[in-house]
Amino acid sequence: MTTDANNSLEQDLLFAIVKERYGHLLTGEQLDGVRTAIIGQRDVFRPIREHRLTNDVEPFASFTPFRGD
Amino acid sequence: MVNSFVFKPIRELAGLIASKEISPVELTQTFLDRLEEFGPHYNSLVALTAERAYRTARLAEADIAAGRSRGLLHGIPWGAKDLLATSGGIPTTWGAAPFRDQQFDYDATVVSKLEAAGAPLAGKLAMIELAGGMGYIHPDASLTGPPKNPWDTGRWTGGSSSGSGAAVAAGLVPFAIGSETWGSILVPANNCGLAGLRPTYGRVSRYGAMALCWTLDKLGPLCLTADDCGIVLETLSGPDPKDGSTHPQPFSYNPDFNPGRRFRIGIISGVMGEAADAVRENFETAVSVLADVADFEEVRLPELPYVEVTSTVLMVESASAFEDFLAEGGPLELSGTGWHGRSPYARPAVLATDYIKALRLRGVIAREVDGVMSGYDALAAPTAMNTATPIDEEFRSRSMTSAGAGDLMGSIGNGCGLPSISVPSGFDGDGLPTGIQFMSRAYDENVCLAIAREYQARTEWHRQRPPEPIT
Repeated sequence: MTTDANNSLEQDLLFAIVKERYGHLLTGEQLDGVRTAIIGQRDVFRPIREHRLTNDVEPFASFTPFRGD
Repeated sequence: MVNSFVFKPIRELAGLIASKEISPVELTQTFLDRLEEFGPHYNSLVALTAERAYRTARLAEADIAAGRSRGLLHGIPWGAKDLLATSGGIPTTWGAAPFRDQQFDYDATVVSKLEAAGAPLAGKLAMIELAGGMGYIHPDASLTGPPKNPWDTGRWTGGSSSGSGAAVAAGLVPFAIGSETWGSILVPANNCGLAGLRPTYGRVSRYGAMALCWTLDKLGPLCLTADDCGIVLETLSGPDPKDGSTHPQPFSYNPDFNPGRRFRIGIISGVMGEAADAVRENFETAVSVLADVADFEEVRLPELPYVEVTSTVLMVESASAFEDFLAEGGPLELSGTGWHGRSPYARPAVLATDYIKALRLRGVIAREVDGVMSGYDALAAPTAMNTATPIDEEFRSRSMTSAGAGDLMGSIGNGCGLPSISVPSGFDGDGLPTGIQFMSRAYDENVCLAIAREYQARTEWHRQRPPEPIT
């Protein structure tokens, strides 16, 4: 399967999740808009996925164990 | 005839109050009258808070008469973007129809701080619905109607701090508080010909402010001058136990800050992208104006997905912040949501691995950018690539992928939480303002403020005023 075909399948599956969760709220036209947006988001994630990081690069978000006393 | 106290910077107004040439109550009345008369003309007013303003103003008057000064903001009226919680039955609509009747029984920390400094809250100011968090593409995305630009009411103010921009530019309040997740202070400052300061993330408590993206949201001032921005930020800043993101050290404004050498300012290679001719020309002129105090140098940043990382964080955090709103069909009640290509319902469709990867890259970007910026006092760029667009037209592409494609500085600055100030740099052929921004390293507000002050000391753009409206 080509990369484009894989991407298309992924967008279809993501759209199916959104349709399952929110489809009852949206018109056919609005769902078309959701599908268009999900396809567009593919271009946002592509360079993120393509950028290689070594195993030790952590998320830039702090986590601190909590103790209330 | 405009009252002579209107359009004066905070420092001048404070001097007039100190010398008893005007009282806080008189000043408050002046601006309340203007807000009431002209606010609706620009679709910039949600609610007048006259009773509350007079209460603060009378206290200020008594304090000042007794020789008890609380600083430069004592007795200076201001306006709040309507995403700041205010108690006492005052609405806090978040600019959106579904929240038109929303009220809180507490005050946002910034509201409390400004009132503690003796600054009367004159009104709640219009904003783009939910701070633009649902993906708007048209200026009509506001409960109070499309925000009209005082320089040309056929153009819009920019968003999402639209009422804050219009009200200060039209002289309806001396300063206002806005918020920025990505562009919402700097763009109205650009479009309305104002100084707008986006502080370092964590400088100002967000307690009581509508949350759109917890790691991107910042509160900051829109004012007539860079000096005013420094004065206001000093009062707003400081740690707040109600907001764990706040920095432990308050900001101390130094209006005399000088590095003791010429400023070093970088310009990112290609940052002007598709800037309009007037924007480009005014930026180049601004650079030449600053040449007697600053050295400019082209800067190359490493190839990293700056725009995509910040976009991903924005999508995921906003989808989570408004998860219940999405599930209840709330976006269907909004007026400006971009259903075609920018639907808010696409935002939950992000894989966890993509989000975490974006957070990992965010750290890489923060370190790389800081490394580059350590050789400079600031990076400079046009604040926006265009002047204010027509109020009845879509202002950007329907495609999510172009969300910030032309806004490299915005994606870096907001993604890394860096301070930036925009000040007016001239006008285009239609008489609309352009802006230049100076972005510094984290916690270096005094540095970018100093550069902006040097620029304003050499130019008169910030002294230009839009025409008074005919009502």
